[in-house]
Amino acid sequence: MADSPTTTARPIASIRARTLQLTPPRWVAFCRGAAPIVIGVALAVLLQFYANRWFGGYREKILIDIGINIILAVSLNIVNGYTGQFSIGHAGFMAVGAYTAGFIMYYGSFWLFGDTQFHGGILSATTDPRGLHGPGFSGGDLLFPAALIAGGLVAALFGFIVGLPSLRLRGDYLAIVTLGFGEIVRVVIETTGTVLAGDEIGGQPWYRLLNRVGGPMGFGGLPIYASSFWVWVCVAATVLAAYRIKASTMGRAFLAVRENEIAAASLGVPITRYKVRAFVIAAFFAGVAGGLFAHEIGNMLNAGELGFLKSFDIIIMVVLGGMGSISGAVVAAIVLTILPEALRSVSEFRMIAYALLLIVMMIARPQGLLGIHEMWDLPYFRRRRTGGKTA
Amino acid sequence: MSTLLDISGVSLSFGGVKAVSDFALKLNPGNLQGLIGPNGAGKTTVFNLITGVYRPDAGAIALDGRPLIGLPPHRIAQAGVARTFQNIRLFGNLSVLDNVRVACHLRAHHSITGALLRTARHLGGELAIERHAHELLDIFNLGFRADELACNLPYGDQRRLEIARALATDPKVLLLDEPAAGMNTQEKRRLAELIHFIRDSFRLTILLIDHDVGLIMGICDTITVLDHGQTIAVGPACDVQKDPKVIEAYLGEPADGAVR
Amino acid sequence: MTTFLQTLMDAISVGSLYALIALGYTMVYGVLRFINFAHGDVFMLGAWFSFWVTTKFGWAGEGAHPSIPRALTVMAIAMALCGLLGYLIERLAYRPLRFAPRLNVLITAIGVSLLLQNTGQLKYVFGTENQRMPTLLPATTLATVAGVNITLIDVIIVAGSLVLMGVLDRLVYRSRMGMAMRAVAFDPHTASLMGVNVNRTVSATFVAGSMLAAAAGFLYATKYPNLNQPAFSTWTLLGLKAFIAAVVGGIGNIRGAMVGGLLIGLIEQFGVAYSAPLSHGYITGEFKEIYVFALLILVLLVKPSGILGRLTVEKV
Repeated sequence: MADSPTTTARPIASIRARTLQLTPPRWVAFCRGAAPIVIGVALAVLLQFYANRWFGGYREKILIDIGINIILAVSLNIVNGYTGQFSIGHAGFMAVGAYTAGFIMYYGSFWLFGDTQFHGGILSATTDPRGLHGPGFSGGDLLFPAALIAGGLVAALFGFIVGLPSLRLRGDYLAIVTLGFGEIVRVVIETTGTVLAGDEIGGQPWYRLLNRVGGPMGFGGLPIYASSFWVWVCVAATVLAAYRIKASTMGRAFLAVRENEIAAASLGVPITRYKVRAFVIAAFFAGVAGGLFAHEIGNMLNAGELGFLKSFDIIIMVVLGGMGSISGAVVAAIVLTILPEALRSVSEFRMIAYALLLIVMMIARPQGLLGIHEMWDLPYFRRRRTGGKTA
Repeated sequence: MSTLLDISGVSLSFGGVKAVSDFALKLNPGNLQGLIGPNGAGKTTVFNLITGVYRPDAGAIALDGRPLIGLPPHRIAQAGVARTFQNIRLFGNLSVLDNVRVACHLRAHHSITGALLRTARHLGGELAIERHAHELLDIFNLGFRADELACNLPYGDQRRLEIARALATDPKVLLLDEPAAGMNTQEKRRLAELIHFIRDSFRLTILLIDHDVGLIMGICDTITVLDHGQTIAVGPACDVQKDPKVIEAYLGEPADGAVR
Repeated sequence: MTTFLQTLMDAISVGSLYALIALGYTMVYGVLRFINFAHGDVFMLGAWFSFWVTTKFGWAGEGAHPSIPRALTVMAIAMALCGLLGYLIERLAYRPLRFAPRLNVLITAIGVSLLLQNTGQLKYVFGTENQRMPTLLPATTLATVAGVNITLIDVIIVAGSLVLMGVLDRLVYRSRMGMAMRAVAFDPHTASLMGVNVNRTVSATFVAGSMLAAAAGFLYATKYPNLNQPAFSTWTLLGLKAFIAAVVGGIGNIRGAMVGGLLIGLIEQFGVAYSAPLSHGYITGEFKEIYVFALLILVLLVKPSGILGRLTVEKV
């Protein structure tokens, strides 16, 4: 044919061909990939050994609360901020993770160690580790992370189930389904029977124990494992995962779904798969946070406390920090954990202040403090980084 | 040469209104086909049918012999059909660069574990995507705006960014829905050159909707004219221009004895 | 058989309360296309206002003398207060966001909901104690059919709901204001060009919905006199179930809200009555909430527009 297209080379090379060319050596990638993990673990170890000495027990507990809230806010941000869905049942995933991890720690400890007491070493110690005379490392130190991951996985499974309606539902409707999910979790847990004491467990098959997680009275007697170390390792993992997802092509596809679903689909983004994926990832981390919460010092795991109000607390952190901003969620989680402690004397006004904050925020600055940007994207930091070159 | 995009007998009605009836179109590789018609003629509906936003009541659509009907929009994009939108649908809160990078997602290898662990392959892929996106932006003269938010671009740039983004999916067929809307004459001329350029250099097949009959007549090889969902004329620009049915559709019923 | 009829009676009575609340959700959704999360709290305040008015008038304790005129007075005052509240909520919180993305309005609605609950349980307002609603209606049994007692309260609940729904139906389909509401629901911009005062119409919608919620609150308090503290989760759940009634019936559709309300009432009451006997005690009445949510998910998956609703598709 006379008017066949010209056969000149394309003006730009294909992505696939380039990928091979630009792939760095394995060891470079490994070092770059592992560096933040090493730093995170090192910081967690530092806090584990010195937090108590520097801050004292009460403040260390507040630090742990902050850590758990950071995990919750950053993970909810993946659903509400990245993909622009609206989940108001995040505490439901937390409850699922908490009860799963609690079940494993309580009955698993009995099965492995013969009683339901604490069997951890230095890493799981919640008092000043210098005063500790037990073994440096113990079986509980392996059981606890396993329980956390199991809690996360079970929560992720629920995240998948809850995410499925997002195939058909948008916005407000999905919000109601997630709220309903949170309530169902609570109601189901509250119908369970009392926790068995150590001498009653022996000889019971494990599935009979599933129904023995405390019901409305709460899951009492859980061993305390949520030390600074575990909490901050989990925080580091969550923040790193959220950041790496956001900075990847997959993460940009999440944001594209939020910005304009129809355009995203026209570019080949499988919208429903990404929405469900966001739910699964977020639920996993919420489950881990729940596992930490269940084994925190001074907490009594009770499904009644993990209802709407807890979900709303997390939403407020995400909205305040900025929908889609990781650093924003972290800052908001810190501020909104410390604030109520500082304002204990006027605590009855706390929720009123939160509510007013939400309303005023939506009217005055609906995208939250940072929007989808990170702190280091702010003009102030950007100018410093580029030496004042940007306009 | 074999037909690349083959549409035959496609119909769609909303309630009682026939939006498109018995629409047929064959695009060969390298074609630049125009689709014109007065407001409400069903042009955008044709695009929505091809890209899977709507499912036709009857008819067949095939790309390279592979049926597209019933596939969800993202599968059709994966098969090689990209489009722009009449009412611009950019990702407003993402940067210009990110808009293009999202679209590269289709042709890149990536996995969630790769992203979480930052494997070597993942890093290579991300770098490749970034360069690719930058080069595409340069072709469209948007390179210097890569870091701006898409919603802050001027109108003409937004239209061009949408084309760049569609190209980043590495399509075989590109559907442009009124790419020249709101542009002045000079911008339109440059756009026409650009469309020719990308058609040739990316070896694309393009289907173009526009209101501006002049623009379409100037750059398209063949033209299909729609009115009230019916195809009223098909052929090269010069023939279509003289077709009485087309004149009637655009200007209304000719009066008796009117000068032709 | 007696259990069945008694459950049916309860279901109709509770269902008409749900329908009354659901109407408020559905009207606001119809006009502004968002879920007014705070509506359930207006219902809660309706119940608490009724309690407050009754005690202020000295009709509690020793001054208690159940009579229908007193009940009507209390209900009217509660409705007026909640109507005013509905107006203020719309004016202060929602109107500034009329053209904002729906997610922002949803978050604001959650904020308003939290605000109402927590203000309600300040010690200067209603406090955090549970209270007992004084008896305003005589506990007369009007008739006994097949062993089922038909009480005055149930009759008044059903009759009152029907009357209010009838009034609303007339208001929406037969009056100028109703025509304006339907016009705004169809397209607020065009409606305003046609001379409809959109702000006033939206306000009227909120006031009407809030008054219905207050009536439901009053009737609820007379039937179940134990009032939980304002932020107690029972209230949120009740509001949520009423919302589900609206969605199941087809949100934005007034007759759908009535159908949905009755359906939710039936499922809930029969769930409570028959769960335990039919499952040999394994499933308790607590699961009624799960049945309701299961119904919601089922309806949303099978017919997302609800039983009587119509689907809207985003234009590309």
